[in-house]
Amino acid sequence: MTVIVLIAAPEGLRGHLTRWMVEVDAGVFVGNPSRRVRDRLWELLATRIGDGQAVLVERANNEQGWAVRTAGRDRWRPVDYDGLILSARNRR
Amino acid sequence: MGDIWWKADPHDLHRVVDRVSSVYIERSHLDRDENAVVIVNKKQTVRLPAAMIAVVLLGPGTRVTHGAIRLLADSGTAVCWVGEQGVRMYAAGLGPARGAGLLHRQAWLVTRPKERLSVARAMYGMRFPGEDVSTATMQQLRGREGTRIRRLYRAHARRTGVPWDGRVYKAGDAFAAGDDLNRMLSAANAALYGICHAVIVGIGASPGLGFVHTGSAISFVLDIADLYKADYTIPLAFDLAAKGLREERDARLGLRDSIAETKLLGRIVTDIKALLAADGADIDAPAVGELWDERLGAVPSCVNWADGSGAFPRDCDTPPDAAPRTADMGDEHIAVIGPEFDEPADPPEPPR
Repeated sequence: MTVIVLIAAPEGLRGHLTRWMVEVDAGVFVGNPSRRVRDRLWELLATRIGDGQAVLVERANNEQGWAVRTAGRDRWRPVDYDGLILSARNRR
Repeated sequence: MGDIWWKADPHDLHRVVDRVSSVYIERSHLDRDENAVVIVNKKQTVRLPAAMIAVVLLGPGTRVTHGAIRLLADSGTAVCWVGEQGVRMYAAGLGPARGAGLLHRQAWLVTRPKERLSVARAMYGMRFPGEDVSTATMQQLRGREGTRIRRLYRAHARRTGVPWDGRVYKAGDAFAAGDDLNRMLSAANAALYGICHAVIVGIGASPGLGFVHTGSAISFVLDIADLYKADYTIPLAFDLAAKGLREERDARLGLRDSIAETKLLGRIVTDIKALLAADGADIDAPAVGELWDERLGAVPSCVNWADGSGAFPRDCDTPPDAAPRTADMGDEHIAVIGPEFDEPADPPEPPR
């Protein structure tokens, strides 16, 4: 399963994503795209997100069981604590 | 026309096997809203993940905009206009964003007598579970099928108490010949053909290339529908006749209900896949066009072959295909049905 969260996305991007995934709440998308389709969607989101933020959470073969990708302007930032992924928020 | 960044590339699309088989829509509008395909009715708005769906079935009371069709075509989604729950198929549309893998495979199988025979045997084999059909001739199989169907008719006649004295029908005209029971059976079969037709078109196979049937534009539809008559239309026709129902509409509605209940659409998809890709052949590679070559099989397109080297232009590099995954499609059939129409508040004035 893949979850994508879009914050402050430019117009049309959320609508575009609903063709592949289901928007379960404002800006939160859930679906089961194949690896190939997922990578292609991510490429598109990363290039078009602009000043918004895109976060993609997918299954991964690590201790946590999932991995995260981010794009756009960092509001939330994944940080690696010796292999454990946590999320950091910039102060200020 | 601005930048159409939302256009999908073949590699952005899911293979047909990986998609939900069908979404049936009734009493709603299909439109485009901010690059999304939306289903709008009086009660709600639903966004349709078109790239995850093999075929959209448009039932009665639907309206579609050009923008919606454009997005559906771009998503590689087939569109079929059908009667209630898919019984009866009127028209279909299929965009260019599709691989021809399944079609190619079907054409290959149907044009080689040995392969065609093994597919035809497999079709009969589905109807004779536990029996070995691997060496039977078509003549033997036709005979066994005739016996099986006759036995079915007799058993259902005994079960329902409806007298049965043989199948009489005129192809294409449910009300041309026979008694009430025969007419109900013809009507139910016509509805079943509609469903099968929609699914076949929806997953990108050809309705015309049949294995057992031949010559008709819907030969493959007739082949596939024959797999389900014993479970669906034959018992249904006897049940309806036993209740004294004799309208074509009763047959259609009865079939519609049992199809929705038993999720037949998904089963049809699974069966077609099993028949056409029995040896696990990958029939659904992404739709990247190639050029055929009599010695090499296929060579890349988007290449100028004038100097014989076939150098790729940069912008036409295609990523390597992902490893084939197991197909898990065909277990889902979704229906979106709008609310009942409102009764007019006041009865209209009687004409004076």
